[in-house]
Amino acid sequence: MTGILVALIVLTIVLVAAFLVRPTITARIEGKILAFAALCVLPALCIAMGMSFHMQRSEQTKFCISCHSMEAYGKSLYIDDAKHIPAQHFQNHRVPPDTACYSCHTDYTIFGPFKDKLAGVKRIYLQYVSTPPNPITIPGGFKNAQCLHCHLGARAFQENPVHASIMDTLTSNQMSCLTSGCHDTAHDVTNISHEKVWKPGT
Amino acid sequence: MKFNQIGMGQFFRASSVLIILGLLVEIVSLLWFHPLSFVLFAFLGAILIGLGMVVYLASLVFAAIPISGNRE
Repeated sequence: MTGILVALIVLTIVLVAAFLVRPTITARIEGKILAFAALCVLPALCIAMGMSFHMQRSEQTKFCISCHSMEAYGKSLYIDDAKHIPAQHFQNHRVPPDTACYSCHTDYTIFGPFKDKLAGVKRIYLQYVSTPPNPITIPGGFKNAQCLHCHLGARAFQENPVHASIMDTLTSNQMSCLTSGCHDTAHDVTNISHEKVWKPGT
Repeated sequence: MKFNQIGMGQFFRASSVLIILGLLVEIVSLLWFHPLSFVLFAFLGAILIGLGMVVYLASLVFAAIPISGNRE
């Protein structure tokens, strides 16, 4: 997609440059139509496709962990211990590894990706202009809906007696999936240096 | 100089320069794999392109039409 988009942008630049050098092209009706395409339609298309490209790129795991403060969270995906929920999901492809962060942290609503992008921009502001929080926290906490998006309705989840007995409190988010004693080990970045690390292909 | 005395050519030049700059910024943002690339795209590239489009559309409404213009 990058190649197509760059080609479209270059084509637009060439057309726009023609109007920069010779604005008299628009004296004829064909020139006016071409000007409308080059100075209005194509740039709008470039913005729309660029936005789509950036939104899709920000779903990638490697994009999330390209931020310095996220490096430790990226490393935590490789911890060789099944108790670590993100690592277990990532290593066993329970979420697509290329979009692992996005799969568990996005808000699965119509404007979810857009809201995530805005939250990302706010974090960039904190990183470069203000002071980033330490430790990093999720505003409003991690919601069960993000787990239940995949697990709800799955046989192993539904038939688990512990889950079945508290299903209402889980679906209503009254009790977190990450509650102590349940699935409480997620991104343990403070102890990451002591953890055994899984190396893919070994 | 009043706004409606500016010629079509000047509007086109201003519009073209803004759009070309915005598109160049967009190319850089596409090829730069960094969290700031989106900020560059959204807060500089898209704004420059959008401004260029607005200047072009404004030219259709406000630009002074030369007497020797294409009138039939």
